[in-house]
Amino acid sequence: MARNPHQAARLRRGIVLYAVVGLLLFVWAFPIFWAVVVSLKSETEVLAYPPNIIFEPTVRNYRDALVGGFSILPSFATSFIISGLTTVLTIMLAVPCAYAFARLRLRGKKALGFYTLVTQMVPPVGLVIPYFLILNRVGWLDTYQGMVVVYLTFSLPFAIWLMVSYMEDIPCEMEEAAFLDKANRFQALWHVVLPQVRGGIAVTVIFVFLNAWNEFLFAVQLGGNDVRPVTVAMYNFVSVEQTLWAKLSAAALIAMLPMIIIGFAAQRQIVKGLTVGAVKGGGRR
Amino acid sequence: MTDRKTNGMLLQRRTLLKGAASGAVLLAAPAILTRRAAAQGMDTSSFENAGIDWRQAEGASITIGVIPAGYFQNLEAVLPAFSELTGVNARLEMTPPGQIRQKAVLDLSSKTGTWASHAADPMYYDLYVANGWVDALDGYLGDAKLTGQEWFDYEDILEGWRGATSVDGKPYGIPYDGEATIQVYRKDVYDEAGLKPAETLKEYAANAAKVHSPDSRLWGAALRGFKGAGQNMYIYPSIFRAFGGEWFDGDRMVVNSEEAIAALDWYVKLLNGYAPPGVENWNWPDIADAFGQGTLGSYIDAHSSAAVIANPEKSKVVGKIGFARWPKGPSGKRVTSIWNWSFPINAALSEKDKAATWLFIQWAASKETQAATSYAFDGAYKRSGVNRTSLWQDEKFTGELSRVGDNFIEATQQSFTEDTDVDWRPRLPQWPAVGETMATAIQASLVGQASVKAALDEAQARIDGILKG
Repeated sequence: MARNPHQAARLRRGIVLYAVVGLLLFVWAFPIFWAVVVSLKSETEVLAYPPNIIFEPTVRNYRDALVGGFSILPSFATSFIISGLTTVLTIMLAVPCAYAFARLRLRGKKALGFYTLVTQMVPPVGLVIPYFLILNRVGWLDTYQGMVVVYLTFSLPFAIWLMVSYMEDIPCEMEEAAFLDKANRFQALWHVVLPQVRGGIAVTVIFVFLNAWNEFLFAVQLGGNDVRPVTVAMYNFVSVEQTLWAKLSAAALIAMLPMIIIGFAAQRQIVKGLTVGAVKGGGRR
Repeated sequence: MTDRKTNGMLLQRRTLLKGAASGAVLLAAPAILTRRAAAQGMDTSSFENAGIDWRQAEGASITIGVIPAGYFQNLEAVLPAFSELTGVNARLEMTPPGQIRQKAVLDLSSKTGTWASHAADPMYYDLYVANGWVDALDGYLGDAKLTGQEWFDYEDILEGWRGATSVDGKPYGIPYDGEATIQVYRKDVYDEAGLKPAETLKEYAANAAKVHSPDSRLWGAALRGFKGAGQNMYIYPSIFRAFGGEWFDGDRMVVNSEEAIAALDWYVKLLNGYAPPGVENWNWPDIADAFGQGTLGSYIDAHSSAAVIANPEKSKVVGKIGFARWPKGPSGKRVTSIWNWSFPINAALSEKDKAATWLFIQWAASKETQAATSYAFDGAYKRSGVNRTSLWQDEKFTGELSRVGDNFIEATQQSFTEDTDVDWRPRLPQWPAVGETMATAIQASLVGQASVKAALDEAQARIDGILKG
């Protein structure tokens, strides 16, 4: 069985690597694992000390979270609509914007770019009051369109800046070739640039959707009975009287589900998107 | 209920038309999935005795902000009876407890009239009144067209609560639900150690020391340690007042007096000596959970926590619980909290909406609705924070509740009538900032970041700054 020392060293390195990765993964995943365990316990069992490793799992919490008096399903739908619309609109607007920032020579480009970034510097808490007043004035408090417009204010600048870096990594020569074939700007963007930044768009979609899905501050202050995203609805299980840990965990896991699904579905694109910039070392010109 | 559902759908349809057409199919989804607590009927015949025209604001639509808590869910379940009685379309909007105050202030200060009324923190009335954001209610109470005075019997509402929702003798909110803080202890543990519930704060600490045995996972006592105007600054004022502390010296607010230092010192020593580790992050649900798991000898907190510790689904100490009033402090006083959720009237409303809101408040605070949401409620949770002296003396109400443990009704009742103190917490428009400053000081000394004196001196300096404006 004697292997050469080189192979043995490689094996050792592999074991150490996997051990470290496993440990980090364990630390990172433990809260989620724990939430899964808690969500399958009864409320009494949740607080038992030491925690029972063996217990009779129950799906009651999931049933309560889905179809009970506090069903989060309507809020789930609400979150989906808001996050979905926000993402679609953001991408529709951010892609041409980012392209313009990356390619076009226009006056005040620097100033505009900085302005886009500045909107991200204001702490959201400072914006709640003006947003509340504006939405109230136009009658958009507690409406989908009001919520989506507000979400666009933070998702759009973020998406533009993210997309700019991907666009800049695409060699100009490819578009120039398209122009030689008599393509106009839009055709070049559509047929040449977009296929190249698919990974970047996937990453942007995920982040925009994620931010909208997890948003709480604006949701609670600008929403209401009609528009009540899942982040707010989950608070039904944390009342002033008691925290229903098991039901809360079940609700949280259900709320996490779409993100996990989207994450898996777009995994390949994301990895591509995340590495494109790194390898080429692109920067702003 | 049907009315509300259809309305909700119409509303959403309208929004939908206004909104992006592409989202049309999606937008209709939540209406299909409409969720609310199961509605239940309520006998409305006795409301006729009020002798007022209940339908005077027919057609009005009002939204009332409340928190997701059992006592409001019960109210929501009987709400259709109100709409039936008055023709007013009223709905409750559940907002998390941490955000309801900000949202209310945002709404009131911008005069948008989004919430006709909301579950208000009594400590906020000075702020509301100083800005003219809410209506004085004496006019409503005195108007025979609006109020069935004899039937409603405002004076029957617990006196301490009426005081807490009044400013300069004028009522601004009508209490709906509330609580008193009382001493809760493990009867079996105390019996075994030959102890009685504490009569004085000194005894309370001694009792905690006697039963304290962390090795067998039983800690002596716990109080709220979590930082917040409604958390540690909810418990400390009782101790401060029991030590003889006064919030004001003339016009100046004083928080670093000798009594204040002694009171905070007692709190810090008790919790550091006999409370479970991590108590600085505990709010009352954590305390009740720990007690329910059998790891606490005693705690002092809201009487309503009994619902958790006496619930066999959550608690292991059912049948082993005793209750008593707050222990006396060196000043000889027992001081309980005065907490209630009350309903004010948003001053930015139209006259018709104000009338509708007042009818709602009158209905919610009436004996009939209080009974329908407590002992007469058709559901597992029956609220225990009713607002009326007459109900606290009614066996139909007390009979059910007395089962949670020894001396529960007596301790709670006496706390309401004898241990309330109007100056329990300092009442001033700057309360939110002052409350947070005190909360920070209390926690800083609890975790040993600063000595008791240093923490209070710093709080004093900050409060001087806040009040100077």
